[in-house]
Amino acid sequence: MTATAAPPPARDALNVSQTISEALAIEMQRDERVLLLGEDVARNGGVFGCTRGLLERFGEDRVRDTPISEMGFTGMAVGLAMSGFRPVVEIMFVDFIGVCLEQVYNAIAKIPYMSGGGYRMPVVIKTAGGLIGSAAQHSQCLWGLFAHLPGLQVVAPSSPFDYRGLMASAVETDNPVVYIEHKGLLLKKGRDFRNQIPVPEARYKVPIGKARVVRPGGDVSLVTLSAGVEHALEAAEALAAEGIDVDVIDLRSVVPLDMETVTQSVTRTGRLLVVDEDYLSFGLTGEVITRTIEALGPSALRAVARHAVPDVPIPAARSLEQAVVPGAGSIAAAVRRLVA
Amino acid sequence: MNTGPTLERFRRMVEMRHFDEACLEGVPGFEIHGELHTGIGQEAIGAGMAESLRPGDAVVSTHRNHSHALAKGVALRPLLAEIFEKETGLCRGRGGHMHPFDPATNFSATGIVGASLPVALGYAYGYRLRGTDDVAVGVTGDGGVNTGGFHETLNMAGAWKLPLVVLVENNLYGISVPIEAVSATATLAERAAAYGAWGRKVDGTDPDIVADAFAEAVAHARSGRGPALLEATCFRFRGHFEGDHDNYRPREEKQRIRRDHDPLILYRAKLTAAGVADQATLEAVAAQSKAAMAALLAEVRADAQPEAAGALRYRFVEEA
Repeated sequence: MTATAAPPPARDALNVSQTISEALAIEMQRDERVLLLGEDVARNGGVFGCTRGLLERFGEDRVRDTPISEMGFTGMAVGLAMSGFRPVVEIMFVDFIGVCLEQVYNAIAKIPYMSGGGYRMPVVIKTAGGLIGSAAQHSQCLWGLFAHLPGLQVVAPSSPFDYRGLMASAVETDNPVVYIEHKGLLLKKGRDFRNQIPVPEARYKVPIGKARVVRPGGDVSLVTLSAGVEHALEAAEALAAEGIDVDVIDLRSVVPLDMETVTQSVTRTGRLLVVDEDYLSFGLTGEVITRTIEALGPSALRAVARHAVPDVPIPAARSLEQAVVPGAGSIAAAVRRLVA
Repeated sequence: MNTGPTLERFRRMVEMRHFDEACLEGVPGFEIHGELHTGIGQEAIGAGMAESLRPGDAVVSTHRNHSHALAKGVALRPLLAEIFEKETGLCRGRGGHMHPFDPATNFSATGIVGASLPVALGYAYGYRLRGTDDVAVGVTGDGGVNTGGFHETLNMAGAWKLPLVVLVENNLYGISVPIEAVSATATLAERAAAYGAWGRKVDGTDPDIVADAFAEAVAHARSGRGPALLEATCFRFRGHFEGDHDNYRPREEKQRIRRDHDPLILYRAKLTAAGVADQATLEAVAAQSKAAMAALLAEVRADAQPEAAGALRYRFVEEA
């Protein structure tokens, strides 16, 4: 009898959550100080499947199902980090951060500074944000919230390649990193992305703090991140047919914010549109525009606009949701207004 | 186990008292320019902790942390310098008196009530993973026992039998609110039963009683039998912080506390009654401690504050 093993799936058939679990497995294999804490991360492999297979491979000490005690297990990460471990904490939905923000912003973010460099906080807070049709308490992005609080690096990847490479960097750095997945991307296969780079099997890193020009163009600088990149690329395709050439920049991280890539683009185009699935006011859009003006002077911009969730909770009804969250159609419309 | 009284415990308490009194000297001239919370009146608890703690153990303390730091072996000079906002401080003047961090002794604190306990739980989980018999001690006041983190921490520690000691310094008041007005249980220690934890309430004004109970709590946690919850009652001699009007406690109550419940006065009597030391010896110990602390304070006061140019350093590792 010969056993025939099923051939492994093609690399581009992997979805984002499988890619994340691959990234975590590589990091846990590479460094035994890395461990994972969170709700449903072990037996269930994560409610989005991002930790599937890790319990079987690394055991329950390092892949720990916690009770619904975010304050408790996020605080555990602080003690673990101070005693030499490198915890990855999963906050199932970023919206749940309200019950444990204390340990994130008062401990994880501040201890490196408060200790005068005595302690480092190699903690990854891995959490799912973004739209999935689940209304006000399960659809937020909140990267602007984390970015406002000093001491945290904040990444929000857009493509399978970046999800793998930024997770490797997030686990490896001694800085605390909030790693915000987009729920709308987690179950999407690599081959279905517009923003497509093959994901190698071998370990690689994407540096935190380097934006990427995803689509070069000369008329408008469109700056966004996370799922916004797919929407922006779709909008750019439609606009190209109308003769509008959009430079699409994926920020990849909110902290650090790679303004060099943004200002290089704006220097060429003179027009800046910032698209954000997070809330409009006091957030990423205002920050990118302000820093651009500070760097280049107000005369560098012929036109500027921002497009984000207009300071309203995410509604339940699809018709209302689509009215407040940037999509390809609304992004294209915003670009047309900018070049008009 | 009945240990003590010992001259060493007296010496520790006296040092803790003098340390906090040295801190008080920094308040009027704004050398310490923010809040200061002293543990004056609560020294028997710190003194009782000291003998059971090993270098590998961790202590995560509160805003009222000085005695716990000394109990864990944090060096006096950098601790006092940190409280006095100096570059020579434990945290180069970035932490201040509520946020001392000492990797050398596994000592840390938080200014957020109750937030110490989940952090201690993390140490305990790490000790389990490494297979050592170290223990983590999370200190909280009576205020912290009503936070969600208290429940979450003890529940997880109980579920996974982690080597955690939760030490509750019950000084009877959360700022102005008496604990009996806001606790569903008559004692805080009895809550241990809900978590399968070892639990006990003791008189926290006697370092011998604290030392014996704390030793038992630590031994319980060290032996792999899960968490321990030790409630030590004590009295806060001063306001919640320096500057607190403290009008919520009647003058007579405050006078009675200082007269009847000062752990130093009580222990002097105990030591002399037991014939361990005479008054002259105790006076000599106290005088030596006071002189040493005065010299240390003078040294620390001469240290420089951090340079303004370094205000942004240490946020990220690239800046360290």
